[in-house]
Amino acid sequence: MFGLELRDLTKAYGDHLAADQVSLSIPHGEFVCFLGPSGCGKTTVLRMIAGLETPTSGAILLNGKEITNEAANGRQFGMVFQSLALFPHLNVGENIAFALRLRGVDARRRKDRVAELLDLVRLPGLQTRAISQLSGGQRQRVAIARALAQEPPVFLLDEPFSALDAKLREEMQNELRALQQRLKITTILVTHDQREAMTMADTIVVMGGGQIQQHGPPVDIYRQPANRFVADFIGASNLLPVEVLDPRTVRLGAISLRVAAACGLGAAPATLAIRPEDVLISRMAGNGDNEVAGVISQVRDMGAYVEFRIDCQGQDILGVAMPRDWIGAGVGETAHVRLPVDRCQVLAR
Amino acid sequence: MRAAELSVQASGVATAPGRERWVLAGLLTAPGLYILIMAVVPAFLMVQLSLAHREVAGLWSPGFELTQYRQLATPLFARIMGFSLMLALAGALICVSLALPAAYFITRMRRRAQVAWLVFLLGSLSLSEVLIVFAFQVLLSTSGTLAGALTTVGLLAPGASLYPNFPAVLTCLVYLLLPYVILFFYPALSQLDPEVEQAAATMGASRLSTFTRVVLPMMRGQILTGVLLVVIFTFGAYLTPLVLGRPPQWTIAIHINNAAMGAGNLPLAAAYAVSVVAFMVALLVLTRVLSRRKASEA
Repeated sequence: MFGLELRDLTKAYGDHLAADQVSLSIPHGEFVCFLGPSGCGKTTVLRMIAGLETPTSGAILLNGKEITNEAANGRQFGMVFQSLALFPHLNVGENIAFALRLRGVDARRRKDRVAELLDLVRLPGLQTRAISQLSGGQRQRVAIARALAQEPPVFLLDEPFSALDAKLREEMQNELRALQQRLKITTILVTHDQREAMTMADTIVVMGGGQIQQHGPPVDIYRQPANRFVADFIGASNLLPVEVLDPRTVRLGAISLRVAAACGLGAAPATLAIRPEDVLISRMAGNGDNEVAGVISQVRDMGAYVEFRIDCQGQDILGVAMPRDWIGAGVGETAHVRLPVDRCQVLAR
Repeated sequence: MRAAELSVQASGVATAPGRERWVLAGLLTAPGLYILIMAVVPAFLMVQLSLAHREVAGLWSPGFELTQYRQLATPLFARIMGFSLMLALAGALICVSLALPAAYFITRMRRRAQVAWLVFLLGSLSLSEVLIVFAFQVLLSTSGTLAGALTTVGLLAPGASLYPNFPAVLTCLVYLLLPYVILFFYPALSQLDPEVEQAAATMGASRLSTFTRVVLPMMRGQILTGVLLVVIFTFGAYLTPLVLGRPPQWTIAIHINNAAMGAGNLPLAAAYAVSVVAFMVALLVLTRVLSRRKASEA
């Protein structure tokens, strides 16, 4: 396979499995985001890919060749660390040229390459600037340029934007995505920020408990979460405890709801997942499927939309609506909630 | 009302730094007085003594003459100072070369192993210098363990001793100072961000080139200070060269003692001491200037 392949990658620290049989194929040129909460094993997997951690078992293959036991300095995957890890005793140009100097690239070519990379990250002419004289965003760019200097086969980033303010983070995310698309370099980014993953990645790998919970395009991950963990972690979700009555019907308390499919779950307790933006809220009763009357228990005006928490026969349902439809809405008012059949997803509890 | 509040706030802001200054002055008084009494006053007395007129029978009378300083302009004094400096620099070079990798490897060990090493190093500091120097004398003497072992394997002639000589002096001084230098480097190395070294590895650097190209340059300031510490300590070494060296390996400290106690020439001994202090101050100033210039270049 042309690209990077992880086969049953496992890392154990004593009894604790930081990564548990992680298997994944990443085609050449793809942008993959490992997403998950703290301690889910995403950084451990990234460090094993970089060669900074030795897997307990499993294999890593690059373009079909096994590199599991190759040291980090042999793999030479460009990596941007969370702390950026720039060398404070070297200036910008020397930092970027570090890998080239190690490879014995002559001074003239080094100089040209540094200038080219500084242009790429939009910092032209900063070769002689000391690292201590750079702003947060500039340091970020220098770290990216340094990691790309050696033209790595795989580009790794470990939560590189976590220390930046929201505006600069978004700017850097856009720049990195544009850069990756221009260079067509296989890129793996580790983040706990789902917005970052959703906006940048070709493929999101959701990790939890050291295992891959789901991987796929961002929209699929959002629209069709594979399990309760993914539905809960990615975006806001109503996760309602239901009982499966038959493959097309579930029971939520005293309410029967139709669903698109609840196959393979038998009569076991399950979870009905539906996104707040898929919940239809109306002041007037309709005659559609899955409609329940409830009482508004909380209203949060977010400006662009209004968020409602509605008590439907003891079940708390979160929904959003346009502000213009709900002028003057208040707690205690009756609302009619409809859960569209095709948006109701039944997951194992 | 509003104006009154603002005025109170403004006066509060104005008085706070004034109070802080008083607190700071109070805190600095005790150490300031200590330094004045224990360092500045003796230094002044030493300079005064070096300029005094020498009297017979080891006495001196107040005066202002450069007789003793003229005696320093001799090849003998230059040789003594030259040897002391050479010994100090050799000691510093060996100590730093050994201590830096040792401290680096200790910081890369597991926590428990690190604690064990630190306890061992601190424990070795509790041994008296006198005890160590005489232990070295025993170890290196004709009947000593080391000399005996070397004689057995044929590397040392029977009846020969491994002291008194320059290597014996240097080895003992390195032994005495090494734990201090390791402990001096330990905090800075343990605070070094491991991601910096890992970054170098992802760029193709071996462990050796990471150490030489990343760790060492980042430790430049500490290395310079470590060298100075050893130089200052070794320059004033007394017991080690006296016990383990011959007269050519005697440092300035021994000559100061000989001038004061042997020849009974206190003004000459003071002139020696003033010269050493002046030399050390010059060395510190030079180092400071060089490190500042390096920093501004960076």
